[in-house]
Amino acid sequence: MKLASDEYSNLTAYDELLDHNLHPRPVARPLFDYLNSLDEKELSARREAVEATIMAMGITFTIYSESGNIDRAWPFDPIPRIMGRSEWDRIQAGLKQRLTALNLFINDLYNEQKIIKDGVFPAEVLTGSGNFRPQCVGITPRFGVWAHICGTDLVRDRDGTVYVLEDNLRVPSGVSYMLENRQIMKRIFPEVFRTTNILPVDDYPTQLYQTLAALSPRSGSQPVIAVLTPGIYNSAYFEHSYLAQQMGAYLVEGSDLIVGSDDVVYMKNISGMERVDVIYRRIDDNFLDPEVFNPDSQLGVRGLMRAWRNGKVGIANAPGAGVADDKVVYAFVPQMIRYYLDQDPILANVPSYLCMYDDQRDYVLANLDKLVVKPANESGGYGMIIGPRATPEERAQFAKLIRANPRNYMAQPTLDISTAPTLVDGKLAPRHLDLRPFVLQSDKLYATTGGLTRVALRKGSLVVNSSQGGGSKDTWIVEEGDQ
Amino acid sequence: MLARAAENLYWMARYLERAENTARLINSTTHVLLDLPHGASFGWANLVEIAGLDSLFKKNYPQADEQAIMRFLIEDTDNPSSILSCVQYARENTRTLREVLPAEMWERINSLYLYVRENAAIACRSRRDRYMVLNNIIEQRHAIIGLVSGTMAHDIAYQIIKLGRNVERADMTTRILDLNSAVQFPEDSVLHETLMERVWMSTLNSLSAYQTYRRLVSMRVRRSDVIKFLLHDMRFPRSVEHCLSEIENCLRVLPRSNQLIHIPTQLRHDLAQRSTENLSVAELHLYLDRLQADFGVVHTALTQHYFHAYSDGDNPDKKSQTEIEFTK
Repeated sequence: MKLASDEYSNLTAYDELLDHNLHPRPVARPLFDYLNSLDEKELSARREAVEATIMAMGITFTIYSESGNIDRAWPFDPIPRIMGRSEWDRIQAGLKQRLTALNLFINDLYNEQKIIKDGVFPAEVLTGSGNFRPQCVGITPRFGVWAHICGTDLVRDRDGTVYVLEDNLRVPSGVSYMLENRQIMKRIFPEVFRTTNILPVDDYPTQLYQTLAALSPRSGSQPVIAVLTPGIYNSAYFEHSYLAQQMGAYLVEGSDLIVGSDDVVYMKNISGMERVDVIYRRIDDNFLDPEVFNPDSQLGVRGLMRAWRNGKVGIANAPGAGVADDKVVYAFVPQMIRYYLDQDPILANVPSYLCMYDDQRDYVLANLDKLVVKPANESGGYGMIIGPRATPEERAQFAKLIRANPRNYMAQPTLDISTAPTLVDGKLAPRHLDLRPFVLQSDKLYATTGGLTRVALRKGSLVVNSSQGGGSKDTWIVEEGDQ
Repeated sequence: MLARAAENLYWMARYLERAENTARLINSTTHVLLDLPHGASFGWANLVEIAGLDSLFKKNYPQADEQAIMRFLIEDTDNPSSILSCVQYARENTRTLREVLPAEMWERINSLYLYVRENAAIACRSRRDRYMVLNNIIEQRHAIIGLVSGTMAHDIAYQIIKLGRNVERADMTTRILDLNSAVQFPEDSVLHETLMERVWMSTLNSLSAYQTYRRLVSMRVRRSDVIKFLLHDMRFPRSVEHCLSEIENCLRVLPRSNQLIHIPTQLRHDLAQRSTENLSVAELHLYLDRLQADFGVVHTALTQHYFHAYSDGDNPDKKSQTEIEFTK
């Protein structure tokens, strides 16, 4: 492979597109035939076209500061990540299985708690949960579904096994970038779409609309759907407005809504008050309703929980769904799948050690230099330690935190997560990546075709978050029959 | 449509119209300057004055020369009406409106913003660069209008855009008309009449009205005819009467407009009956000022009625749709 950088000679991780001889894997052959036909000049011209397209499409992050608002272009790598359809079909089935079990679990927790009574899930995990909402006890939302939109993070280890890293059940974001990435690729590399049968991704907005519409309390009429955003200063605002636009929904802020004494949610329209049937909320539970949660919230709507509890409005994800978005709860998902569905998990969990158990905690403390330790309720990579990359002082400090609050910590072996060729200075260099597919559930189940591939653009880095030097790639699921 | 979104949309339309009008005004003023003889003078500061921005300008700029005024009107983001500011606000508003606008709209306005951001400083460099950049801005803005009229559903959002555009446009036409009082000639100039004609020609040009005027009114450019054309001619889309009638048309389509449609209607009737041909320079100036105040009344009425109709703690049980419709 003439474009492969020297960095490939030292690579230990699994590469998504190149085998250990640096030959393209079968699914990637047409792409590399095409790439090899370009010289470096043409390749960098495409790269510039990509950047110009991203700026013109306005796919940006806005960083708001006192000195003004800076728009940073969405960091995008033009080399796609490719997966064969047969592998994807298995993953997709695993994602649906997982979300089904998670929803049964959440509904059980807020109602009979059979899984605890049957000794499969320990009561003390629930007691220590930061995202359990007592205000939701006794409620069964329509279809028994709490998490309607789930973003599941997947990684591939050295031996090729795909693991679930975490289930994001609160307000997962990134799907708009998945959709826009494909638009960019179609504009810049239309030729490759002729040589490979790439499955489309653009039915997500329709599927999301149908998932939400199924939650409408009024049957017969076309439901009024609103995306509830914290506002333009939120870093995911782009996505909120994008999804509203794609679905033909309203984009609302808390101050645009009001709950009447009839418990119905209304929207302040220029023609008068209009009833809202379903709210796709992109703000956290705690800010949702000052009447029930954080009383100082300016973002939410007073009375919203009342409206939801009385069945006057559908809310996705349901308040309280985040109870299953907890890294300790995560460790029990395989048991949940067996318990509720009587099936073997299709997708593997990363082996996990729970510090709440004495023997597992001892192991974690003794092996801190080999493990990644994560707090239960954080997301976005906050408050965690990557043992092999930390200093002895940092590890000692972290050991204290674990001993002080064992329920709040879990540990996993450091995975050698997979790479894919990424354009760096005119060459293709291996960069680590993950994959976030989005899974929907209401009356039906749906999983995206592929998902958002996030890539750590810095050499050797494992951090894919866009705020910390991460970027993204288009993700292709391809029909293998065509190869 | 959400009251908050409607307000953002209205302002988006006003900002875009203002950016385009400022670009036109600068280009046509530059053009006429080239035709003025030595001894005739045009104060660039008047451009700032007709826009009602003189105190802000004086605060930040020691000298009112062409370069300073161009920087102030084109690229100064401390001036909320500079072209860059207007385009930036329009873009910020569009970000909050993507769900009510055609998908390409965001991309167009975003591109316009990126263009102005990149080129505003270049436009301030020389008259030639300035002409080219401002012309591109005007063209891109036309593409946006084309997108609105050609691809957007003619729904409430469309009416709100038209509303904002026409309120801003009516205001700007009166301001451009007012500009001519700023031109001073040597008293004894034998060329006085020819020069005056040049100046009025520039007025027409800055509103893209010259050709239409010649076709519909006269080959001669006379002050009285130009004033009449720009205030009254219903065939010309930038005449004040035409703008007012467009505002009425929008209100006819918008919900619960029966309480405020009389405001533009009354204004248009008053204007239609007013004979403006023989007003002196000073009288015309006063009259145009009054018209601008009247547009302010229209703007305030729209804002209060549609955008700020819900004060905090409004209860929909007390103010149901029908009550909003019929109570005053």
